[in-house]
Amino acid sequence: MSAATHLPALVIVVPLFFAYLMPLFARWREGWSTVTALGVLAFSFAGSLVMAWQVMAYGPFSYQMGNWPPPWGIELYIDYLAVFAALTMTGVGLIILVYASKDLPHELKPHLLGWYYTLYLLLMASMVGMALTNDIFNLFVFVEICAIAACGIISIKGSGECLEAAFKYLVLSALGSGCLLLAIALIYMVTGHLNFTFIAQALPEAMRLYPNNILAALALLLVGIGVKAALFPLHVWLPDAHSSAPSPSSAVLSGLVIKIYAVALLRLLYQVFPASLFEVTPVMTILLWMSTLAIVVGSMFAIVQEDIKKMLAYSSVAQIGYVFLGFALLDVSALMGGILHIFNHAMMKAMLFLAAGAFIYSTGVRKLSDLVGIGRTMPIPTIAFTIGAMAMVGIPLTNGFISKWYLVLGAIHGEQPFFAGVILLSSLLNGIYYLPIVVNAFFSEPHGAVAEPKRLPPQMQVPLAVLGFACLLFGVAPSLIMGLVSRASQALFGL
Amino acid sequence: MEDLIVRYISRIIVPFVQIYGLYVVFHGHLSPGGGFSGGAIIGASMILYALSFNLAEGSKRVSHDLALILESSGGLIYAGVGLLGILLGSNFLANRIAGFPMGTPGNLFSSGTIMIVTLGVGIKVASTMITLFYSLIEREHNGDDHH
Amino acid sequence: MTIIEILLRLHQNSYYFFAIILFIIGFHTMLTHNNLIKKIIGMNIMDTAIFLFFVAIGYIRGGRAPILEPGADHLYVNPLPSALILTGIVVAVSITAYALSLIVKIYQHYGTIDAEEIMRLRGGETL
Repeated sequence: MSAATHLPALVIVVPLFFAYLMPLFARWREGWSTVTALGVLAFSFAGSLVMAWQVMAYGPFSYQMGNWPPPWGIELYIDYLAVFAALTMTGVGLIILVYASKDLPHELKPHLLGWYYTLYLLLMASMVGMALTNDIFNLFVFVEICAIAACGIISIKGSGECLEAAFKYLVLSALGSGCLLLAIALIYMVTGHLNFTFIAQALPEAMRLYPNNILAALALLLVGIGVKAALFPLHVWLPDAHSSAPSPSSAVLSGLVIKIYAVALLRLLYQVFPASLFEVTPVMTILLWMSTLAIVVGSMFAIVQEDIKKMLAYSSVAQIGYVFLGFALLDVSALMGGILHIFNHAMMKAMLFLAAGAFIYSTGVRKLSDLVGIGRTMPIPTIAFTIGAMAMVGIPLTNGFISKWYLVLGAIHGEQPFFAGVILLSSLLNGIYYLPIVVNAFFSEPHGAVAEPKRLPPQMQVPLAVLGFACLLFGVAPSLIMGLVSRASQALFGL
Repeated sequence: MEDLIVRYISRIIVPFVQIYGLYVVFHGHLSPGGGFSGGAIIGASMILYALSFNLAEGSKRVSHDLALILESSGGLIYAGVGLLGILLGSNFLANRIAGFPMGTPGNLFSSGTIMIVTLGVGIKVASTMITLFYSLIEREHNGDDHH
Repeated sequence: MTIIEILLRLHQNSYYFFAIILFIIGFHTMLTHNNLIKKIIGMNIMDTAIFLFFVAIGYIRGGRAPILEPGADHLYVNPLPSALILTGIVVAVSITAYALSLIVKIYQHYGTIDAEEIMRLRGGETL
């Protein structure tokens, strides 16, 4: 098993290695790029599965880069939350890349396909790195790689509105990175360490001596990561960026990129900062109200949209509110619901964006009012869209129901039943904007371009089918993933 | 620019600038500098050459293909050295533990893998600066006929 | 605390104080100016302020540059913040390069680099 002990580093480095090879393939060997990218992501997914099995069987372990022990070296700490996030990122990323291999030649200029794979592999490597790392400056470096790669896969399309959306995302992301770096500086100033475990040991003493530094660092962290994760008042870049990007990029951005920042914030809030801090400052209350506003306002904005991708983007604003609500309720069941919703929403939103992309690929229509009757002429994407819509609303037998169930349970256990009411109300709001599309798609007559769609290639139909099946599977038998999620949430609470 | 004095002086100066850049890159583990600053100096020397002569001359010296290969190989050297640490039995990016030769500190060939990694970073930064410069200037020369 | 004490405290921590002032100036420039290039300049000012803050953390009074000479034993300045901001400077340069190339392409598409003009040309649906 000697190769398996190096899997934490290999899962991050192999995509990086092949990301550097992709431009050479694009210039001289055009046909190799797609196959290599898919193979590399399959290797990362397999590596994450092996690490997940190892963590579930033997417990968390750590990996030291260069054999330098912490605090001198960078350490990768593989625990339940890390391997859960790595599984989600690589798994859903692989499925989206299969779809992208056929959709992208239709949306991009032909010589840019290899560069798209470079950016995609860099994005995957940085997200897995953010999940696994135990060093705060290493986290910052991966955050920066992720920011540039994410802006890159938006602006590669080259149309006017996606350039402007990518610029807006870049400026706000740089703002967030600046705040994050200043927070790292403040934490390093008072503790002298960069490793999460060492900072966690040094912080209670430092809080006694220098409380203002720690409070400023906490505020800057919240703003910095909040901008990148599109929490409510800081979400303004998200609708334009996710709606004007190519469809696989929208799926990756909405499903995976904003979630990994939530995972990073979860680690920092629960594992690094001491619990005594949260009795002194109302951080969790602030997060609670920001996420509630995100859920309600995001859904309300989604109701009035006419373009399908913009509606799905506003829906992402609402759904990231659920994840943060799970963090802020301070209850084990709510945290399980929040962490599970990361996985569920990645699958649901990816499936919805890929279905919308299939609609646009075959018919070229984006407006909701023109998409009537599409269920009769393109059954497979519409069935996938229906399963995704039902999962978003939270109908039983889909995985969305399981995560909302845990959130409501946590709200009631934590004696804050108001938020249980908010979650139920938001399910109603979700239904208001998702169900009319589904009803119109199946029960109306198609006209215009919708009546004769282009044929959908199998590489685009298979990911939709796989994701739809996975949504139903994890709704009927959630115990496949709940073992990992419950152990992660209990470890974060220190139980 | 078509000035005679600028061309004459830059033709003399560019080799010295490149030697200085290589000095900063190779002595990265002994004195301030390292991959990033040394690579920026080497890149700046090529930009000086392309600015004082015209773009066609600069493209003959460092063509697009060469810049692409250099850029990729810089990153590949770094990742390759790390994977070499795994192949030799210890963790990723291992240095002394994996058996790389460490001379006496203060010499040029001490510090094992650090010099190779610094060289890779220097090559990558230099070629990135050249590629960015060529992309921005070529767009201005050719106008916007293909976007 | 009296004014004299406040001024004395500020004089002792002057590096941090000016770094925070520069950070606020850069932050404000990024958010309020309409010209896209001024936003990028504001981002650079903000990043430079953070690097100044980082370097000021590492300074030890009476220390010299952290270059080892064999056999000599001096008090050295903390070298770790310098290594961290080297990475940070490269990240700031990459983001600046990418943003400037985006501005070039936006100018080709819209004909202007004023953010409000672009919003008006796009049809102005925000929030």
